[in-house]
Amino acid sequence: MMFLLYFLVFGLVVTIVMGLVTSWIDRKVTARVQYRVGPPFLQPLIDIVKLLGKETVIPAGAAREMFLFAPLLGFAGVVSASTVLWANQLHAAGFMGDLIVAVYLLTIPSLSIILGGFASGNPLASLGASREMKLVVAYELPFILAILVPVIWAGSFGLGDIIESQKSFMTAGHISGMIALAVAILCIQAKLAMVPFDIPEAETEIVEGPLVEYSGPALGIFKLTRSMLLFTLPFFLLVLFFGGLRFSGPGFFRTLLEYVGIVAILTVIRNTNPRVRIDQAVRFFWGPVTILAVIAVVLALNGI
Amino acid sequence: MTREEVLLDFTSRFNDDIIDYYDKSGSRLYVTIKPESIVGIGTYLFRNMGARFNIASATDLPPNIEILYHFIVEDVNLIISLRVFLDRENPVVDSLAREIEACNWIEREMSELLGITFTGHPDPRRLLLADNWPECVYPLRQDYEEWDESADRTRGI
Amino acid sequence: MSLKLKALLKSPWVFHLSTGSCNNCDIEILDCLTPRFDIERFGMLLAGSIKHADVLLVTGSCNRMSVERMKELWEQVPKPCLVVAVGTCTASRGIFKDSYNCPVPLDKIIPVDVYIPGCPPKPEAIIAGVVKLIEKVGSGND
Repeated sequence: MMFLLYFLVFGLVVTIVMGLVTSWIDRKVTARVQYRVGPPFLQPLIDIVKLLGKETVIPAGAAREMFLFAPLLGFAGVVSASTVLWANQLHAAGFMGDLIVAVYLLTIPSLSIILGGFASGNPLASLGASREMKLVVAYELPFILAILVPVIWAGSFGLGDIIESQKSFMTAGHISGMIALAVAILCIQAKLAMVPFDIPEAETEIVEGPLVEYSGPALGIFKLTRSMLLFTLPFFLLVLFFGGLRFSGPGFFRTLLEYVGIVAILTVIRNTNPRVRIDQAVRFFWGPVTILAVIAVVLALNGI
Repeated sequence: MTREEVLLDFTSRFNDDIIDYYDKSGSRLYVTIKPESIVGIGTYLFRNMGARFNIASATDLPPNIEILYHFIVEDVNLIISLRVFLDRENPVVDSLAREIEACNWIEREMSELLGITFTGHPDPRRLLLADNWPECVYPLRQDYEEWDESADRTRGI
Repeated sequence: MSLKLKALLKSPWVFHLSTGSCNNCDIEILDCLTPRFDIERFGMLLAGSIKHADVLLVTGSCNRMSVERMKELWEQVPKPCLVVAVGTCTASRGIFKDSYNCPVPLDKIIPVDVYIPGCPPKPEAIIAGVVKLIEKVGSGND
């Protein structure tokens, strides 16, 4: 019963609301950086409502059931991941190893884009989906290594224990924690397909990539999933590196500052960089970033 | 080579084929030649004199159809335009596309818009006109008439 | 006015389509998307694929090859979709009225909602036209 409450209220509603607000922050800051006025506050919500009202056109050569199932798969993945995080945050109702569950659930949205791209029956969509596959293989390695650092400091794989052990000193205070945080932010930039790693949806090259044949509610769910990921992934980083959210007293402002800080870093990186090629991205993630993550793990093992 | 040497070489080599020679300005030259010799002269200009084939243009001037082949000799700032007059009832000329690859598409365009037959062209397909355009209707001729009853020639709104 | 239509008018994603234009109208549409004439404040974004489009900005005098393709594209757009004819060439073919390759103006091929005259129309004119379209559809004159 408790999990159902968490699932519906926090996993679904709160994540949707916070995701849309974060998406608006991203677009408004981008507009301001480009010296123009941005969209009004309710714009992301209106985008989703409009998409729910259009018709879905299914191409003739598409695998019909998988085409329509792929967005729901991604949506389910991000709602479940958010539920796990909120359950640990509010009620300490976690279980051993739920960090691994959260990491697996957070890879499901990328998987759903790949499935949707291949089910579209369009060569551009297949190209975008294959690039997304290569990108996933590239950034998952340093991401997992960076997540090992809070695990080493807390001594267990449970999210509840990780939050508990940061009550005295948060992971980002140690040097290894700082390095791991930097690595994790770069990996999140790729997970969200934001510039410089928006290779799957490179507009000037392959015309929206895997989403090229989607329209109507199916596209709306994909966009909603991406907005929810824009909230869930910084939340995940907050839980791992900053000790979760705090709702009382001065801790609330600190949480707000950390959350907006991570989103601001993502937006600033997005606005100041050109897009890279897929082989440059893979070389970047398996080269310098993995080395940094390994250094962070070694430092954490030695207690620095 | 200077410009005078180029011109001397050109006129002395092809003296039999040149019908007319018009020097418009110092650097722009119109040479009227016989239709049979276009391949020989064009190939010589392209391969031996180092000229660049720019474009070919065709016009319907009754009683002839005129084709101009424009070659540019860049070192001496010279544009040589070879003019060929074809009979309007049966415009046939040898295709330059086998020697100069750049001629391929412009000859396809000339053949579908004006009805010129290029013998020996490697790829005589339709280039620009739509698929439902009827055969043997040439839009750039002077006697072209509207064949499409569903076309709307009013101002629309 | 239904919620569907209201949401459509507040977040119209534009898609640009050229049916054989001289590219001047295309350049002016590109100017609209620059930070100087910022259209994101109206919620407009440039859609990459025609399946994501709500407003089609069509330029060019429709030549014969693009007539059949325009009809196929119009079938593939998810309705409801509005069509904006940008430039004189789409409205009446302009100076190409008697050309052999331009049989009909655009509104004989697909239904057009607003015409923006000009050769090419200024970006301010294009934005004013799209805003007038939104007001016209919003006030119930569908």
